[in-house]
Amino acid sequence: MGARPKSQDYQASAAEQASASTAMAEYQYFKQKYDPLLQQMRDQSLTADVQSGLRGRAGADTMQALTSAPSYAQTQSATRTGDIAQAYQGQLGVANVAAKDIQNKMQTNVLGTARGQAADAQSGMAQASRLATSEALTRARANQEVAQAKVSAAGQVAGSLLGQGLENMSTRGGTASPNQFSGTFFTPVDAAGNRMSSPGSRLGFSKVFGG
Amino acid sequence: MSNLAYMDTESLAERGLSTAGIPTNTLPTVNNPDQAFANITRQEYLDYVKNYRGFEEGLLSKAQTDTSLIDQAREDVGTAQGLAGGIASRTASRYGAALTPAQIQQQQLMLQRANTLGGVQSVNDARIAQREANTGLLADLINIGQGVNRSSQSQLGSAAGDAMSRQNAFTQAKAASKAQTYSTIGSLGSMAIMALAF
Repeated sequence: MGARPKSQDYQASAAEQASASTAMAEYQYFKQKYDPLLQQMRDQSLTADVQSGLRGRAGADTMQALTSAPSYAQTQSATRTGDIAQAYQGQLGVANVAAKDIQNKMQTNVLGTARGQAADAQSGMAQASRLATSEALTRARANQEVAQAKVSAAGQVAGSLLGQGLENMSTRGGTASPNQFSGTFFTPVDAAGNRMSSPGSRLGFSKVFGG
Repeated sequence: MSNLAYMDTESLAERGLSTAGIPTNTLPTVNNPDQAFANITRQEYLDYVKNYRGFEEGLLSKAQTDTSLIDQAREDVGTAQGLAGGIASRTASRYGAALTPAQIQQQQLMLQRANTLGGVQSVNDARIAQREANTGLLADLINIGQGVNRSSQSQLGSAAGDAMSRQNAFTQAKAASKAQTYSTIGSLGSMAIMALAF
């Protein structure tokens, strides 16, 4: 019969408790410090006007390149105005694309972090709760084996007791009936029908010491 | 504004976590890591749904329907023409250039033609850029989604493995207990038989 497992044998080791506590502290710190910042970044990625700044810069670059040195000859050119318009359109397009790229990256970074955050919470805490479990399990298994050994020994003692008792009961002594006596479970009788109740007589009866 | 103003204190309290401040020299006691883990996992998902689900769906929609670059390029055609015309006019005024009506008409025609051609090119470039931007955004989103999917499947596989291990351990424990019981009974029985035989 196996001994029942004891819950105290399966309690967390000190290392496991420290690990879980540290993980929980880090989690609380993250939620209080970084999670709000990530939500701020989310809102900024939706509302930040990156495009205006870049378009302004693109316009300034165009004008600086094409109109910083005006001359009389330029007033006579039929194509110069068209060139400025085309260049301005082209630069604005570049600015628009750059702004879109920045905005998309901001947004995907926020989402990637938010999604990674959920995944990390899943795997991190799981690891924390498993740390040092093997030590606790080893200790529990050892205790379980000791308990089972005790039960096994108790079974052997009980078996020996039962065997000896039955052996005692099978002893007969004395003359024929009605003066013949039988042993009881705890007390055998010798061939003469004497009850072996004292320790000395029992030792002599058992012949353990060659008596 | 303080960062704490953005704190989701309600959800922290729901998780049984302290909102009194950041502990600096003490660690929280986690009596039941399994339960803490379960609570955090559940709450993290609810936080994601509350704070980022709409944001994510907006990005997915944007990656498939955004035409803002093309729209902006169309708007810029008119802006560029007005700006270039203004520059020509101011330069002429600054130098006191007297252009003949034929010159003015020719300049206007050239500006209009160049602006139209530039606009067509701009819009076409914007179409290509828009497609690239949308494709890039969608690819990034798919990568994120695939990462989440991979992580979720791994998590589910781990849960399934744990469940199987528990089931196996339970079966083995039952078998071991039964074997131990039979062994003890057998030992007692065999002793009894030996004694009776004596």
